[in-house]
Amino acid sequence: MMYVQLAIDSLLLGGLYALMALGLALSFGVTNILNFAHGEAIMLGAYGAFFGLTLGGIDPLLSLPALMLVGFLAGYALFRYFLKRLLTAPQVNQILLTFGLGMILNNAAAIAFTADMRSANPSYASESIRLGEAYLPMGRFIAFGVACVMAVALLLWLHRTEYGRACRAVAQNQLASTLAGIDLKNVYAVAFGISIAIGVATGVVLSWVTPVTPFMGFHLLVKAFAIIILGGIGSIGGAMAGAFLLGFLETAVAYFVPEGIGWAEGVAFAVLFLILIFRPRGIAGQAAEG
Amino acid sequence: MKTNRFAVAGVMVLLAALMLVPLNLPQMNDWLFRIATLIMLAVSWNMMASAGMISLGHSAFWGVGSYGCLVAINYLKLPFFMSFIPALLFGALIGMLLALSTGRLRGVFFAIATLALSEGLRIIGLMLPDFTGGAAGMFLRHGARPAAMVLYYSAIIAALLTVLAAWLLSITKLRYAMRAMHDNEDAAQMLGINPLFYRTLISTIAGAMAAGAGALNLWHSAYLAPDIAFSLHFAILAQIAAIIGGVHTLAGPVIGAFAIIGLSELSRTSLGIKEGYSLLIYGVMLVAAITFMPKGLYGILKARPARKPAREGLAPAGASPPNDAAQP
Amino acid sequence: MQLTKPTLHNAAFLKPGLSLALGCLLFASAYVPARAADDTIKIGVPMELSGRFVAFGTSGKRGVEMAVDAFKGRVANKKIEILLRDVQSDAQVTVQVLNDLIAQKKVNLLIGPISSAMVSAAIPAWRQGKPIWISHGSTTPRTEEEVGAEPRFFHTFPYSYHYQAAMSAGLKQALGSGKTAAILYADDAYGRAALPAAKKYFSEAGFKLGVEELVRSGAADMNPVLQKIRFSKPDVLINLVQTSDLATLAKQIRIAGLETPYLTDGVDIFIEEWQKAVGDAQEGWIGVAGYFPGLTRPASKDRPDLFPSLAEWEAKFRQRYNAAPAYLDVGAYSATIMLLLAVDKAGSDDPEKVAIELKKLDVQTLLGRGHFTPTPSGTMNQAFQDLMVVQRQGGKNVIVYPNDLANGKLIPRTAK
Repeated sequence: MMYVQLAIDSLLLGGLYALMALGLALSFGVTNILNFAHGEAIMLGAYGAFFGLTLGGIDPLLSLPALMLVGFLAGYALFRYFLKRLLTAPQVNQILLTFGLGMILNNAAAIAFTADMRSANPSYASESIRLGEAYLPMGRFIAFGVACVMAVALLLWLHRTEYGRACRAVAQNQLASTLAGIDLKNVYAVAFGISIAIGVATGVVLSWVTPVTPFMGFHLLVKAFAIIILGGIGSIGGAMAGAFLLGFLETAVAYFVPEGIGWAEGVAFAVLFLILIFRPRGIAGQAAEG
Repeated sequence: MKTNRFAVAGVMVLLAALMLVPLNLPQMNDWLFRIATLIMLAVSWNMMASAGMISLGHSAFWGVGSYGCLVAINYLKLPFFMSFIPALLFGALIGMLLALSTGRLRGVFFAIATLALSEGLRIIGLMLPDFTGGAAGMFLRHGARPAAMVLYYSAIIAALLTVLAAWLLSITKLRYAMRAMHDNEDAAQMLGINPLFYRTLISTIAGAMAAGAGALNLWHSAYLAPDIAFSLHFAILAQIAAIIGGVHTLAGPVIGAFAIIGLSELSRTSLGIKEGYSLLIYGVMLVAAITFMPKGLYGILKARPARKPAREGLAPAGASPPNDAAQP
Repeated sequence: MQLTKPTLHNAAFLKPGLSLALGCLLFASAYVPARAADDTIKIGVPMELSGRFVAFGTSGKRGVEMAVDAFKGRVANKKIEILLRDVQSDAQVTVQVLNDLIAQKKVNLLIGPISSAMVSAAIPAWRQGKPIWISHGSTTPRTEEEVGAEPRFFHTFPYSYHYQAAMSAGLKQALGSGKTAAILYADDAYGRAALPAAKKYFSEAGFKLGVEELVRSGAADMNPVLQKIRFSKPDVLINLVQTSDLATLAKQIRIAGLETPYLTDGVDIFIEEWQKAVGDAQEGWIGVAGYFPGLTRPASKDRPDLFPSLAEWEAKFRQRYNAAPAYLDVGAYSATIMLLLAVDKAGSDDPEKVAIELKKLDVQTLLGRGHFTPTPSGTMNQAFQDLMVVQRQGGKNVIVYPNDLANGKLIPRTAK
């Protein structure tokens, strides 16, 4: 009954949130720069999928790899040739530079694409499977699938490839990594590029789930922050866990609290605040203070 | 904070503004009003930033000040000058609570906490329609508004007082504490400075300043809704203003506020007919300011410790450390 | 902390100095002195030309422009001067712009802004001079409470309760009484303002009110609410939700396989952007409209130059703007023409005279009868409040109410 649907809804929402947070967790964990323009990467991915479908007739799942590649290259280049100065800059600069970039991107998108909302409509987006009294929305389920695939791929990359291991090393201890001969500049840029690619993937997946507007990014960004703090900085697993936890909390509030769906948006902030006060290292992360 | 002749210049400009008000030139008074409230917000933000607390959700204080004032006017029926008292108190209270609850959180984490605070307050505002009017908002009680001139004068004087307050604080022992905390809180503690105490003090004062600006704005527009009160837009402008003008300086926020409103109006009146470009320009300005004018932000970090704590690591191989002696 | 000597080579000097100079320069250039032009009729047109409500402002601007062209740029033997200003969908800017237009430029005629939020921000500023205000927009009853009783306030757009009045009447005629109606309302100005009206009109029309659920404006997941609706099995689901929330809702209703036979909303289901975004999910939705693309109406008998047939007007619009007109465009045009007619008859822009002429006007416009009458809830001058009830059937708009305009019958939707 309600509970089965609750479980389905929170699981699927958690999957979406996980994908959203994954990219940000990677870039922040490795470079220690919080990319306030990550939401715009999501937004551009969504527009990419939308235009691919409506102008080229290409299903979003098919355009996904190509869009991700573009995202990776753009992210790599952006970091390597522009953002790397932030590594030695005071935090004010980091926050505000990426924030400014985000503003440029979303207003440029509003001018280029107009502020009209769009939505991709591949066939699976409106189907669902009945499971007794509950139902499983196909579109979200596929999004969930993509999120799982990405997460697994990322984890494999981090543990099995040279660059991946280098990223982990850098995330743990920069000084020691340099001593071990790791080319930090490149590692940072690669990590950033991948985080943008994941952001783009998030956008592609969201293109058939939520309306696509130029300003969709900021709202998602704040949620992603809440999740990586909940999960703990530097921990991919933590971010995933945090995502599912937030998904569950929001859905539960929406179902059981009167006018719950109004308060559900506030859950992320309440959780964020509580975590920062009581356990800043999150579920699985490293110390946040100092 | 740098106290130089430009702080004095900024104050002179504000005094000159006072004399322009009665002339009632086209749009001038509203411009001055917007600049005055922006100055208050920018000075407030700047104060916190100088102590190492970067606030992204400064709109929390602004909003709380606006609602405090609304309560004073519509429910408590207080007259104009008295209505600021609840606003300032609310702002100070939120500032104090923020500092106490976030404890020793630094940098990005503090920033995100402030964002969460602002958005959380906005949602609370939306979900309590009996008190705030909900999303539809509330108007000020009829007949409560003073003459427009009173409003304009009050705004400029309030801005002056704010700058004065910031200056006073900067010549007290507080400035050493702030400098020390900004650079290295642990070391500061060893010098006998209690970071939590100073954080709370600064946060309380800054909160009150920003709340005062919000209250003034409410009187000006006579209408309030949670989306307006806790809108991040104006707070972002305040940050941009402080950065462009020069963070950690006294004159910076003042000058930056003039520049921001000036640019905003220019782009609105000449480009405004083509929709959407003004905000794009803000973004470009922000990026340009941080990219090409770093000296002002770096300057104060001359005394940075040679080695940052292990978590942050050293500068990556290949990047040169900032060269303080170099002139751009 | 060092006291740096301010030399030209010192960056700390340069930066504030440059900023100050830049600021002054910008002020000087933005501060365009008003041209002395006494033999024009000035109309202040504050519109949301950027920001959140850019779609509304753009429509308003287009309607006004087309109307000025229809009058060939002149009224009452003087040139029409449109003072178009962007309020940037920002309350502070709105106040500033209105102050400028009213206190400085001393306009006697005002059209806009459109969104409820900006009109609310504009009201206190308007009171300073109280020019004739053609308020083409603002559906919130708050506006009616604040300024409805003002004799110089002319509201040319329906209030949200007019939507509910039309919808409940139309559904009652098609379905009879005794059916249950559940309500979904958005947590924004529109939704919360429309809720009491919806309850009032639908219960007066004989519907039994069922569950009442809030949806978060901007939420990605409305499913929890839809489940609650599903369990209560209403005959009609009244949706008090706008634009992108409506798109999310429509798609999720379809995905959830909600079987409710009748889904209603306001005017947004006729927006092309919504229809494209939701695709097949739009089938069966019922809305209220004063106009939709493709609606036919013949030219006005006495002034076909000002009020041509809808088809003709639409063609002109498409040619000029390369876009399909929306309800707001057509309405803004009609309202502006009415204002200009009144100014013409009054012979000047004196607000008292124009107000008298506006009240006397009774013309056939693009939206039907253009005539100002009071509303029962406090607006003295209201026009264009009568709406048709229209259902989306097979991708087309079918008018189901009132009978003299209807060209089809209401049909229940099937879940898939």
